Amino acid sequence: MLEPIKNNWRILLLVAVVFGASVALFAPQFSPDTAPGEGVSEAQQGVTNLQYGLDLAGGTRVRAPLEGHTATDVAFDGDTPDAVARAVAAEIDDVSTRDVGAVPDEQAVEVTDPSVTEAQFREAMDASGYEYGSIRAGVTQETRNVAQSVIEGKINEAGLSGGSVQQVQSITGEYFMLVEVPGEGRQSVIDLLEERGTVQIDIAYPTGDGTAVQEEVLIQEDFAEIGTAAQAERGSGAYVPVTVRNTAETGQSPAHGFQDAVVERGFPETYTTQGDRCTYDPETGETETPCLLLVVDGEVVNSFGMDPDLANSMATGSWADSGNFRLTTGEFAEAQTISLNLRAGALPAELDVSGEGTSSSISATQGENFRTYSLVTGVFAVFAVAGMVFLRYREPRVALPMIVTALSEVYVLLGFAALVGYPLELAVIAGFIAVVGTGVDDLVIIADEVMSEGEVNSRKVFNSRFRRAFWVIGAAAATTILAMSPLMVLSLGDLSGFAIFTILGVLVGVFVTRPAYGDILRRLLTVR
Amino acid sequence: MVAIEVPAVDYTDYSNRQLAAVPLAFLILALAVVGGWYVATGAPANLGLEFTGGVELRIADDGGDAEAQIEAAFDREPDSIRTIPGDDVVVVTFRAADEDPGGLAEDLEDRAAAAGLATTAVDQVSPSFASDTARTALFGVGLAFLGMSVLVFALFRTFVPSIAVVASAFSDLVIPVAAMNLLGIEMTLGTVAALLMIIGYSVDSDILLNNSVLRRTGEFYESVSRAMRTGVTMTLTSIAAMVVMAVVAALFGIGLLRDIGIILAVGLCADLMNTYLMNVSLLRWYKFEGVKR
Repeated sequence: MLEPIKNNWRILLLVAVVFGASVALFAPQFSPDTAPGEGVSEAQQGVTNLQYGLDLAGGTRVRAPLEGHTATDVAFDGDTPDAVARAVAAEIDDVSTRDVGAVPDEQAVEVTDPSVTEAQFREAMDASGYEYGSIRAGVTQETRNVAQSVIEGKINEAGLSGGSVQQVQSITGEYFMLVEVPGEGRQSVIDLLEERGTVQIDIAYPTGDGTAVQEEVLIQEDFAEIGTAAQAERGSGAYVPVTVRNTAETGQSPAHGFQDAVVERGFPETYTTQGDRCTYDPETGETETPCLLLVVDGEVVNSFGMDPDLANSMATGSWADSGNFRLTTGEFAEAQTISLNLRAGALPAELDVSGEGTSSSISATQGENFRTYSLVTGVFAVFAVAGMVFLRYREPRVALPMIVTALSEVYVLLGFAALVGYPLELAVIAGFIAVVGTGVDDLVIIADEVMSEGEVNSRKVFNSRFRRAFWVIGAAAATTILAMSPLMVLSLGDLSGFAIFTILGVLVGVFVTRPAYGDILRRLLTVR
Repeated sequence: MVAIEVPAVDYTDYSNRQLAAVPLAFLILALAVVGGWYVATGAPANLGLEFTGGVELRIADDGGDAEAQIEAAFDREPDSIRTIPGDDVVVVTFRAADEDPGGLAEDLEDRAAAAGLATTAVDQVSPSFASDTARTALFGVGLAFLGMSVLVFALFRTFVPSIAVVASAFSDLVIPVAAMNLLGIEMTLGTVAALLMIIGYSVDSDILLNNSVLRRTGEFYESVSRAMRTGVTMTLTSIAAMVVMAVVAALFGIGLLRDIGIILAVGLCADLMNTYLMNVSLLRWYKFEGVKR
């Protein structure tokens, strides 16, 4: 009973792998993730679970660095990041503190104003007196992360399904943001990236008959700095640190204006203990306590009460000297959203699409055409291979299993792509064709080796010849994998897909399909 | 029906020098072309958009005289205009100028729209990014070649047969690059992938030959002809697939697949010559004279 299984395990393994690929390709459980508000049938492109990349489905890809300069290995001398940033900003003409950031975790100071040259920044760093290692182009990891989440937020808000943002590093060590948005044209994606919303802080307060709102207590330009979400030192909460400008060219500074408004609307009287909360109801817009409202693009997105200590310092008039406060919430994720909302879609540094970036865009119809055309191209290539093999062997017993085996390799790879949700691109299709090519090459080696030197009349003869053939196949496979591996890791755009699938194809070939072909050939040649 | 009969070459008729002369002549010629290109243009090949920077637009050909329309629509002269027969589109390429290429892409798109031309795809690459890509690509090919060489030496552990494989792979890379220059094909990311594929493919038949001669019993010429029967079939099969892929992809205007097809076809032809002329002569010298020393 076990004997047939043992004798044919290679063929059985191939059958099992092909079955697995079919499941991955067609079973609804493996269908692509759906975007919010999208049905399964919409997420699925065609009858299979395969997903298509930009060049086969249409869409836009933008790759660009964030502009700025970063000084590394900065000795902070025990100063707060804020003080360091201020000191450096003071040394550069026409640069606000907002465009200079100090990140203690990375021991780095960055300037994100694109007009500042490296030389200017170097001078400023020297003048500020902080020791530093070197200056490089680009921004800090923290800023990149913020930029990534801002862009993700924009894509989600615009309801673009399947969009993605990644940070990629080039061989020279420079970081790029890679944004991919299916189904959108180049211009609309760039507009989306550059678009800024409006953000303001209003105060809602109770009056004798209902709730009144004092608008634009703080507007976007009033913020000197918007921090990233941070975990509270004590307790479970999280907060976003914010600094309001406390200097003004003429008249009252925004911080003083804010302080006066807060006192006038009765915050210090309302918030006297830690337990006092804002009672703003987002549904009705009514409140019984004065509340700060965060308004983005005309809509209230968050409401806040005030810490008694903060309210008190406002009442005494000392708060405006620093202009710092924290927007506190219960959860870290919410704090992150608030930080993003405060930015209103503004990136922490500018994306340099035209100077150092690249963008490519393909319309949906062009993508669909490419899909058909590449399928036709692949089919023709397979026919060419099949034709050559038949011409050479003239024996269907040898040639037919060869073609079927080579095709099963591609089928298994397609299954793998569906399983991991790797989007098919033109480069991947080229990889498939390359796989058919190398696959058939190796099958030719097996067939020739096995059929050389007369009849194959015993298992033993067959096995020794098969092993000999396998040495060559293994060596050839190792060189192909080695030759392709640099492409897999270097950031060369589409080509990593080509390399990944060529290498996978070689692996599937060596471990599954080629041994199976050997077994098939043995049965056909020895059993008669 | 015609059958493919791999011809049995009578190597005894030719001396090692005679055998190696042809591939060496080709290699020297190819190196001269690539070197000359470098001296004349500052780059070893015609660099494509990805390596120079610029803007490429795909414009739908609505049946009218699209090329004339395109000439009229843009204020700068396009560097190339290609019509894709299978797909009714025209590909217009503008090389990177020193001016801002992002703005150029926008400007060109607007102009195309103003002239009533439908743009189906836009690619924009900035010059500094492009030179970065070129360096990365060169580094990748170099790394792949080095890795392959080390592996080959590890597999055979004898100098002459190993160096034969490495030399033949080198020639297999240089000849297609020279051919690209002469045929006016541009170096793109696709062709770089094809060059890396050549490293993989070309080593296959070399390993087969070395294995047959060095590791198997039997007389030298018998071993060579046995390896040749298999190796030539393999390479011809791959060439057929690549030629068909190049032709079909060219008809449909899929540049990436077309480039990969052409380069691999040329490289595999070079490989046939290098393996069965240069490698055989090196191996014969090693078997009959080199070992005795």
